[in-house]
Amino acid sequence: MTDTRSQPCSHCGEPVSVMVAPAFCCNGCRVAYELIHGWGLDNYYDLRDQSVDGSIASKPQEDSRYEVFNSDAFLGISAPITGADGLMTAELAIDGLHCAACVWLIENAASRTIGWTMARVKMVDHTVRILFDPKQIQLSQIARLLGRLGYQLTPLTGRLEDHTERENRRMLVRIAIAGFCATNAMWIAIALYAGDASGVSTIHRDFLRIFGTGLGIVAVLFPGRTFFTGAIASLRTRTPHMDLPVALGLSVGTVVGTVNTIIGRGDVYFDSLAVLVFLLLIGRWIQFRQQHRAAKSVDLLLRITPRHAHLKSGSDQYDLVSVDSLQPGDIVRVVAGESIPADGSLCSGQSFIDRSLLTGESEPISVVVGDEVCAGTVNLQQSIQVCVDAVGEQSRIGQVMKSVEEAMGEKTRIVQLADRVGGVFVVIVTLLAMVTFVAWFDHGLSVAASNATSLLIVACPCALALATPLAISVSLGRAAKNRILIRDGGAFQQLAKPGKIWFDKTGTLTKGQMTAEFLIGSTDAIRHAAAIENEVCHPIADAIIRLAAEPIAAKSTESTKVEFGGVSGRSEGHRVAIGNLAFMQRNNASIDGSFVDAVNASVVSGGSPVLVAIDAVVVTAIRISDPLKPEATSTIARLQALGWQVGILSGDHSDIVGGVATIIGIDPAHAIGDLSPEQKLQIVRDGSSDTVVMVGDGANDAAALAAADVGIAVRGGAEVSLQAAPVFVSSGSLTSIIDLILGSRRTMWLIGTAFAVSLGYNIVAVGLAMTGQITPLVAALLMPISSVSVLSLTLAWPTFRESPS
Amino acid sequence: MSVLFIALPIALLLGASGLAACIYCIRAGQYDDLETPAIRILVEDVGDRKKTKRL
Repeated sequence: MTDTRSQPCSHCGEPVSVMVAPAFCCNGCRVAYELIHGWGLDNYYDLRDQSVDGSIASKPQEDSRYEVFNSDAFLGISAPITGADGLMTAELAIDGLHCAACVWLIENAASRTIGWTMARVKMVDHTVRILFDPKQIQLSQIARLLGRLGYQLTPLTGRLEDHTERENRRMLVRIAIAGFCATNAMWIAIALYAGDASGVSTIHRDFLRIFGTGLGIVAVLFPGRTFFTGAIASLRTRTPHMDLPVALGLSVGTVVGTVNTIIGRGDVYFDSLAVLVFLLLIGRWIQFRQQHRAAKSVDLLLRITPRHAHLKSGSDQYDLVSVDSLQPGDIVRVVAGESIPADGSLCSGQSFIDRSLLTGESEPISVVVGDEVCAGTVNLQQSIQVCVDAVGEQSRIGQVMKSVEEAMGEKTRIVQLADRVGGVFVVIVTLLAMVTFVAWFDHGLSVAASNATSLLIVACPCALALATPLAISVSLGRAAKNRILIRDGGAFQQLAKPGKIWFDKTGTLTKGQMTAEFLIGSTDAIRHAAAIENEVCHPIADAIIRLAAEPIAAKSTESTKVEFGGVSGRSEGHRVAIGNLAFMQRNNASIDGSFVDAVNASVVSGGSPVLVAIDAVVVTAIRISDPLKPEATSTIARLQALGWQVGILSGDHSDIVGGVATIIGIDPAHAIGDLSPEQKLQIVRDGSSDTVVMVGDGANDAAALAAADVGIAVRGGAEVSLQAAPVFVSSGSLTSIIDLILGSRRTMWLIGTAFAVSLGYNIVAVGLAMTGQITPLVAALLMPISSVSVLSLTLAWPTFRESPS
Repeated sequence: MSVLFIALPIALLLGASGLAACIYCIRAGQYDDLETPAIRILVEDVGDRKKTKRL
């Protein structure tokens, strides 16, 4: 392979000894190349070639990295299982899936690799099931192959998937049984109604009724059992719950129907009972899937945290082990660029840490021996050793995940409202049924029972129970398609009416990326400043380096010192300090009056001034500013047109905030700067009755986001954001906020309409039943119509506009 | 109409066998992923795929 007369494969870059162009190392590459070429997507290779260099250089290291895939200890629950025919099966998580083509590529890769019998990709879960022959190929080779195709295999984390998968299957089995009973009971019912019209003989009628009853009882007892367990739980906890009226309706219908079947008189309702169970179960399943989807998107993020760690096992020896096997007190090595696998303290080395996954804070922080570090944060600079304190669920990120999961399990306020209404409803219906029974008792027992039963059946709050959760689930799903993740469906309720909306400035209204601009002084100093800043990972440092716009030779890091408000170091023998005015004054640098003027002018125009001092004399002023997002002005105008009162809360200098407010059309009186997080919190909490919405960074504004009626996070890690705020806009675009508000309005309209429709049905039907106008037969026909109309109303309602893609 | 006494149980038995098959499919995991198979159908088989064992 390493023949000098070789050339790279046209697809994967692997050396091939064939001297024709295009050359391929294997058939798989040829197919992939031809496909990509045939689609006219050759740009893919141009784009990819820029990154390929790096991966080739690091190949030897990468190759050894895959060896761990042969160790069961590393794989944990993903360890391959040997089947009867000697083949092994392993299920692993796979990163890098984008579309159908990826599925195709991976599944075809399997059929083209000797020994790798099969691959089955699950797009939803981002998992792949691999069937291979251990005599011909090792899992590590498959992992390496997939790695080369751009997909990284990792062992499964387990827990979550297992539980939801079992629950999903259980629900589907229940739906299948209920569906079978419902459809068969329905055609038996049709036969009965037709028979009633054409004068069927009693023996045939009874025969049909017995079978219908049997099906109905099966539907109520097996798949319908879940409503009874729910109702019993709600009785035990004394909280009225929608399961209660459902269970009551089911039991009354069942008892009356069974009695009527046995005595051979009156109506049987088993078709409607079975259909009721069927529809309600479908509604629950849709809701369950939506919640699970949200949970999975969080779980996918959890996979960002590493699954394995370099455990120190000797004086200079490290073993690659699964993170789950780490114990408090273990020492792990984290090389630069890797994520830290567990919470702990630094026990040797010093480095910079990117904590954005946990806090959303993009500024790297410096850590030295003894400092606490958290799982999931990225070590940026040098190899460090961490003494492990907490692993997995005990770690901070684990705690965050747990609370997100718990929050998702909680019912949203509006669903609780529907449950409460249902609770009141069941009491009213029961009372009305009794009143009806007593009032009609003069006309005979069977008439009274028939009318009371009609009422209970027709008033069965099926549509009511279905309407709200279904509307919210559908809207949550549609919002997620528009890259708006919503944890709490109650947000729809709050956002439907205009109120106050506060924006954070940095990264919310602005791009969050600093750009530097030369003001006055010596341009030469910028070169020195860039050389120092090159050692620092900081947005302002990056802006200054971009300003210098020339390649900078790497310098020794020893002398560079990062302090509060600035950084200092040595460049070409000069002492260089870069920082704000206060930093310069603290360091006793001499500052000329013209620089103070420049600083003041810069603040007024909405930028942050940075001074550069060479050998304790300030020689250059630079303006650092953060450009506005292009959609900011139009979004603000739109919000104001919708009746929202818009304001800015920022930790930045008041003058800068005021400048930004004027530019984008916010009343400067509502643009407040110089705020600490606590002050922001106070303003957001300010007890006015209006809805208060806070839009900001999931991490820096976490407290304010959580305190607001609705917090909308537009940046920061999704986990953290969803913990603090019920809404996370993953597109980061401000227009999504308009989409969200309009979508919320439509969702609330939908819920209101669905409620009105189902209540209208029930009130009319209850009135008819009480006056003896409808028989249980008509009641049974009316009941599913209300659920069907609510269902179709919800699915057809345009709550969120389709995403442009 | 006496055919009803035979036809109805047979119809239900046929339906029940369908239900049993459906439950078997659910338990075997065929309904776990409702998205990828929809994509997979669009992908043309290359023809020389090896015989694969069904999981």
